Amino acid sequence: MSSPIVRVIDVHKYFQRGSERVEVLKGLTLDVPQGEFLALMGPSGSGKTTLLNLIAGLDRPSEGEVWVGPECISALSETRLAAWRTRSVGFVFQFYHLIPVLTAYENVELPLLLLPLSAAQRRQQVLTALDLVGLSDRLTHRPGQLSGGQQQRVGIARAIVTDPTLIVADEPTGDLDSRSAQEILALLVELRESLNKTIIMVTHDPRAAARAHRTQHLDKGVLVDAPSMSHDFE
Amino acid sequence: MKFLKLIFKNVRRNLLRSALTAAGTMVLVFVVTLVLSILSFLDQATSEKAQNLKTIVTERWQIPSRMPFAYAQSLAEGAPRDPGDVRVPAADSMTWQFYGGTLDPKNRTPENNLFAIAMEPEKLMTMMDDLDSLEPDKAAAFSQVVAKLKANKQGLVLGKERLRQIQKKVGERIKIFSVNYRDIDLEFEIVGLFPDGRYDSSAAFNRQYLNDALDTYPATHGGKPHPMMKGTLNLVWLRVPDRDAFQKVRTQVESSPLYSNPAVKCETAASGISTFMEAYRDLIFGMRYLLSPAIIVVLCLVIANAIGISVRERRTELAVLKVLGFSPWQLMILVLGEALLLGGGTSLLSALGTQFVINDLMGGLKFPIAFFSTFMVSTDAVVWGIAFSTGAAFLGSILPALSARNVKVSEVFSKVA
Repeated sequence: MSSPIVRVIDVHKYFQRGSERVEVLKGLTLDVPQGEFLALMGPSGSGKTTLLNLIAGLDRPSEGEVWVGPECISALSETRLAAWRTRSVGFVFQFYHLIPVLTAYENVELPLLLLPLSAAQRRQQVLTALDLVGLSDRLTHRPGQLSGGQQQRVGIARAIVTDPTLIVADEPTGDLDSRSAQEILALLVELRESLNKTIIMVTHDPRAAARAHRTQHLDKGVLVDAPSMSHDFE
Repeated sequence: MKFLKLIFKNVRRNLLRSALTAAGTMVLVFVVTLVLSILSFLDQATSEKAQNLKTIVTERWQIPSRMPFAYAQSLAEGAPRDPGDVRVPAADSMTWQFYGGTLDPKNRTPENNLFAIAMEPEKLMTMMDDLDSLEPDKAAAFSQVVAKLKANKQGLVLGKERLRQIQKKVGERIKIFSVNYRDIDLEFEIVGLFPDGRYDSSAAFNRQYLNDALDTYPATHGGKPHPMMKGTLNLVWLRVPDRDAFQKVRTQVESSPLYSNPAVKCETAASGISTFMEAYRDLIFGMRYLLSPAIIVVLCLVIANAIGISVRERRTELAVLKVLGFSPWQLMILVLGEALLLGGGTSLLSALGTQFVINDLMGGLKFPIAFFSTFMVSTDAVVWGIAFSTGAAFLGSILPALSARNVKVSEVFSKVA
């Protein structure tokens, strides 16, 4: 088995709600090997999205450490964390969150604006990403002119355009009909296989989780079942 | 530069709101540019020069100043008495005699009142501000008017606004029934116009005409001189090369025994104008310290409101940008960029548009203060107008930009979910 690309070590996360301190993650430890497609499941409020945000460097643990590759991202400054996110993480949202005034091309190009690339290099990478998700013919379409499935494909293209180590997806099929959802899941699987990406996906849908190599269940801030290998990831 | 397109597209996102904000900005910049033009013009008129100073000699104790015309010749030279005294060349002096009246004594209205300066015609182009620095083509045209004024003692030169008000044309004759020189009613032929701008409401004629009429007055009035005869000279202008020369001329004039009854005083033109402008002190204070800052504050609020709403509406988008790797500073720059594009861009258009409309289409802004009737929009005012409004846009957008900078991704998406 590959060495872990993501290591979550004894992570606690507290939120202050009025005078009350709510512990969302309670000493959670998790390793995700390079190239794995991991599904995180659990009831609402179990801490799935909080965990995903910590792994993606969008939030910091109250205690514990989060390592992605050689970086302890829980120790990075906000500016360095932002730069790290650009290069290392692609994020796929449930509601796509494309910028409505930009075309599909421009939406995918956004993360590349933060990298020292020429216009020609950016164009090449955007076209490659949109080709991978099958939207080469929708470059000039704005999000409002695309279906939900197509918007999510643009979201995935935006997530992979910087060639990140890790793709995190928060309910990527949650807003899609079942056919589009299956297409998006197939696309994620294909990307993992062809590009050897590590994917961590939060989902409520057991059918979506079934496409992953491994499923971890969270409940009340802890992992409730032992890590299990499934499918063909070894 | 990479973010420019994004900034531009964000400004275009809500066209109605951006257009309304731009319109509000343009109106405010229009007003602030006009106010700054007037203030800058007055500042220029009342700021002391180091060289080529104009000295105004007037009666010391009385307003309006009325000195005997007999003072004119020696005052015009700077009243030198001793060999080492400063002697002002003839070309660098000018006398002013105010003559005013109405074109229709039975129906006196502001429109048919006319006040004119009696002077030496050739001094119009050597001593009068702006007329001494006309562009060659305008100077050539005006020198023909001056020549007519010299050749025709009854000639009268008017500003175009004055001509419009009395509803006459160049070449027509008018008769002024005097108000200040009672019984000396003079007939004039309008021989030409002042160049457009500062003298649009002015009138001037050959002083010889007035003085000849005063000289012949006793012949028709039982040998008695005109009651105004003791004080027909209102002021004398002298041009001196520097402050030292001014101080010397001042000492020469104010200590001369020739001018004891009435006594006279010397001051620089700037100082004289400042004294005259005292009457408008509150108005100018209000324009400088109340109106201008108020406009800048309103501009700040307009921009803050528009950008603030825009940031609030786009918190999720800003969070997405953070997720994609935009740093807090980059988000701040995006928001400030939108404000600067909206505020700076529209203020640039507005200030340049104001200058074009006021100067080139309207021939100046009619805003009579003291003896200034028309103001032009100066380049300084345009530059400051743009700078102030861009600064206001920047200030107004700081809070929304900080708010964008501090967007917390986890909070935004917990609400979205």
